[in-house]
Amino acid sequence: MHYPWWHVPQLTAPMLIAAIATIHVLVAHYAVGGGLFLAVETAYAYRAKDRQYLDYLYRHTRWFVLLTVAFGAITGVGIWWTIGLASPLATEVLIRTFVFGWATEYVFFVIEILSAFAFYYYWGRLPEKTHVAIGRIYAFSAWMSLVLITGITAFMLYPGKAWLADRGFWTGFFNPQFLPQTIARTGGALLLTSLYVYFHASLAIKDRRLQELIARRSARPALLGAILVTAGGLGWYAFLPESARAALDSAAVLTVLTVLIFALTILVFVLLYAGPYRNPGWLSPGFAGTLMLFGVAAFSTGEFIREAVRKPYVIYNVVLGSQIFPEEVSTLRNEGFLEGGLWTRAFVHQYAREHELDLIQGGRVDLRRLVARSDGESMKHRRALGGVLFQYHCNDCHALERGYSAVAPLIRGRSRDAILWTIRHLDEGHFFMPPWSGTDDEAELLADYLQGIAPPRPAGMYPETRS
Amino acid sequence: MEPLLDTTNLPPLPAPFWFIEFFKVLGFSLHAIPMNLWYAGILVALGLAACGSEHGRRFAARLMLQMPVIVALGINFGIVPLLFLQLAYARAFYPATILMAWFWLAVVVLLVPAYYGVYLYAFGLGKEGAAMTPLKRAAGWLSAVFFVWIGFTFANGLSLTTRVERWRAIWLEHNLDGAATGWGLNLSDPSLWPRWLLMFGLALVTTAAWMVVDAAWLAPRESRQYKRWAQDFALRLGLVGAAWAAVAGTWYVFGTWPPEVFQAMFRSPQVILTLLTAASPWAVGGLLWLWRRGDISRGQAAAVGAGQVGTLALNAIGRQVVQNLEVRPLVDALPEPAVQWGPMAMFLLALVAGALAVAWILIQIIGVKASPEAAP
Repeated sequence: MHYPWWHVPQLTAPMLIAAIATIHVLVAHYAVGGGLFLAVETAYAYRAKDRQYLDYLYRHTRWFVLLTVAFGAITGVGIWWTIGLASPLATEVLIRTFVFGWATEYVFFVIEILSAFAFYYYWGRLPEKTHVAIGRIYAFSAWMSLVLITGITAFMLYPGKAWLADRGFWTGFFNPQFLPQTIARTGGALLLTSLYVYFHASLAIKDRRLQELIARRSARPALLGAILVTAGGLGWYAFLPESARAALDSAAVLTVLTVLIFALTILVFVLLYAGPYRNPGWLSPGFAGTLMLFGVAAFSTGEFIREAVRKPYVIYNVVLGSQIFPEEVSTLRNEGFLEGGLWTRAFVHQYAREHELDLIQGGRVDLRRLVARSDGESMKHRRALGGVLFQYHCNDCHALERGYSAVAPLIRGRSRDAILWTIRHLDEGHFFMPPWSGTDDEAELLADYLQGIAPPRPAGMYPETRS
Repeated sequence: MEPLLDTTNLPPLPAPFWFIEFFKVLGFSLHAIPMNLWYAGILVALGLAACGSEHGRRFAARLMLQMPVIVALGINFGIVPLLFLQLAYARAFYPATILMAWFWLAVVVLLVPAYYGVYLYAFGLGKEGAAMTPLKRAAGWLSAVFFVWIGFTFANGLSLTTRVERWRAIWLEHNLDGAATGWGLNLSDPSLWPRWLLMFGLALVTTAAWMVVDAAWLAPRESRQYKRWAQDFALRLGLVGAAWAAVAGTWYVFGTWPPEVFQAMFRSPQVILTLLTAASPWAVGGLLWLWRRGDISRGQAAAVGAGQVGTLALNAIGRQVVQNLEVRPLVDALPEPAVQWGPMAMFLLALVAGALAVAWILIQIIGVKASPEAAP
C-alpha cells in the first residue's frame, strides 16, 4: 500500500469519480453520436440542396462544439484527474497496462478537436465534399475514442482469466466485457444523440416540415441505438463475472435499478416508435423533453449499476476497494494492515512518538500491549488507531456517521461482539465486501472505533431486543 | 523517519524509460505553447483591450477570438505529459496530489468557467465588438484569474511531487486519522514561487512571439501599421518577459536548487543545457531587436516562432533532467522495462496517421477564409 488515502466527508472519494463520470458520459455519448449525426445529415442536406436544413445543422454544430469540445473534454479529463486521487493503486495498474491505449485515444482527441473546429468555423467555405469528409473524420475519431476507453473501463469489470495469466495489453483490452460494452455504448451514443436532437429541434425549429424531417431521419438511428443498447446490455449481463451477477440479485437497490433500466429502455423504444418514427408531428418540447429525460435516466441508472456490481473490487480480482491487491490479504492478516501500508505505518509510528506509547517492537507496529489494556486512556488510543483502520480499509465505500453508505447506521444497535464478528468475517457476511485484511488485534481496534460511533438500537420497537 | 516514498518492488514500465521521457518532454513542449498564451496572453490582451491603442485593441480581439481553439488544444496537449508522468512517477505524483487533493480537483472545476469565460468574451467581440457587455468582459477577466490560479496549483503539485521531504509535514497538518484531508499546499517550498513566476515570464515571451507570427501569417487583411505595431510591441513584451524569466530563473536555480542538483546541472555536459536554457528566453527579443528597423517578413516571423518553441523545449528538457535528479531514488529503482511492442506500435502508427489527418485538415482550411457568420 503505497499511497495515502483521501478522506472526503460524507460522500467518500470514489463517489466523486461517479459524479463526474455520470456527467461526462451523458455528454460524451452525444459527442460520439452527434458527430455521426452531423456528418450524415450534412451530407444528406448537401445532396438534397436543403438550405433550411443546412442552416439548422450549422446552428446545431455551434451548440455541439460549445458543449462537447469544452465541457465534454474537461469532464473526461476530470474523471482521469479524480481516479488518481480517489483510487491511486487501481489507476497505477490501469496506466501501466493501458498507457498506449490512452495515448492512442489522445491522438484521436486532437483529431476530434481540430476537425470539429474546422467543421464549424469553415462552414460554407469549404467544398461540400471536403466539409463532409471533415465531419466523417470527426465522427470516426470520436467513435475510436469511445472504443479505446471502453476497452479499459470494461477491463475493470472483468479482465478475464487470460489477462490474469499474462497481464498483457491485448488480452486485457479484448476482455469478455469489451464487445458487449462497445455495442451498448455505440447504441447509447446513437440513442442519446437522437433524443438530444429531438429536444434541440423542438425548441429551435418552428418550421413543421423541418421538424418532421429531423424526427423522421433521426428515428431509425434512435431505434437502432435502442436495439444495440439492449443487445449490449444483455451481452454485458451474460459476460458478467459470477459475483457481479449475484450482486444484481442480492442488493435490493440494484435489483430495482435493473428493472428500472429495462423498463425505461422499453418505454423509450415504444415512444420512439410511436412518436418520431410513426408520427413525426409529435415532436413538441414536452414530448421531446420527456423522452430525453427517460433516456438520460436510463443511461445514468446503467452507469450506476455498472459501477456498483464491481464491488468489492475496483479492478475485478486485481485491486480491491481497500486499495490493496488480493494477494496481499494473507500477508496483511499476519503482519498487520497498519504495518503493511507506508502511510498507515508512518502514522502509527508518529502517533506512538506523540503519545509515548509502546506500539513499536523491532521497528514494526505491535499492538498487543495496547489491545491487552482496557482502561479509559487506552480506549482513546484504541479508537484513534481504529480510526486509521477505518479510513484505509473501509472509507473507500463507506462514509462514517452519515453520508454515502455510512457505516454507523449499518451497525446501529449491534453489540461489540457482533461488530467484531462482522469485521473478522467481512466477505462471509456479504460477498461484495472485501475480506478483512488485518490481524485479530487490529480487528479489536476497529471494533472499538465502530462501537464508539454506532448509534443505539432505535427505541420503541416491538418486541424489545436486548442490545 | 519512516519513508513515505516506496521505491521497492516497482513494476516494470511498458516502454523504455527514454521513450517515456521523450514523449513526456515533447508533450509538455507542445502543451506549453497554448498554455503560455492563456497564462499570460489573456492578461496582456485584456489589458490592451482596456488601456491600449487602437492596434492594441485589435490584437486583443484577435487573440481572444483565437483563444477557444488555443485552450482546447492546450488542454489536450497537456494530457500527454501528465499521462507519462503518472506512468513513470506514480509513486511520487499520486501522494503529492492527494495531499492537495481539493486544490488539484479544483483545476478541473475551474477549467470549465475559465474555458467558457473565454468563449463568452469572444462572443462579445462579435459585430466588431458591439456585442461586448460588462458581463462578458468580466468573464474574460475571471478566466484570466482562474488560469493563473490553475498554473499556481500545477506549480504546487509538480514541485511537491519532487519534494518528498515536505510530504510528512503537510500530511500531519492536514489529516483525519491518517487519511489526507486534501487541503495541503506546498507553500513553504522555496522553489514554488520562482517556478511559478518563471513560467509566467516564459509565457510573456511566448505571447510576444505569437503576436509576430499571427501578424505575419494569420492576418493577411490587417494593415501594415497594425503589423508594425505588433512587431514593436512584441519586441518590448519579449524583452520584459525575458527579463522576468531571467530574474525568476536565477532565483530558482541559485536560491532553491538542492546542492546535488546544482552540482549536477553545472557539471559537463548538463551545464550546456543549463546555460542554453538560461539564455534562450532572450531569443525572441534578440531576433526582434536585430530586425527592428524593417518590417518583419514571414520567414523572420517563423524564425521568431521557432526560437520560442526551442526555448520552451529547452525549458521542458531542463525541467525533466532536474526532476529526475530530484526523484533519483525512484528513477534509479526502476527495473528493466517489459516493453509492450504491439501497443507501442499501435500508438506510433496512430500518431503518424493522426499527424497526416491533421495535416490534411490544415491544408484544406489554409487559404480559406473562416465563415463570417461563424461566431466563436
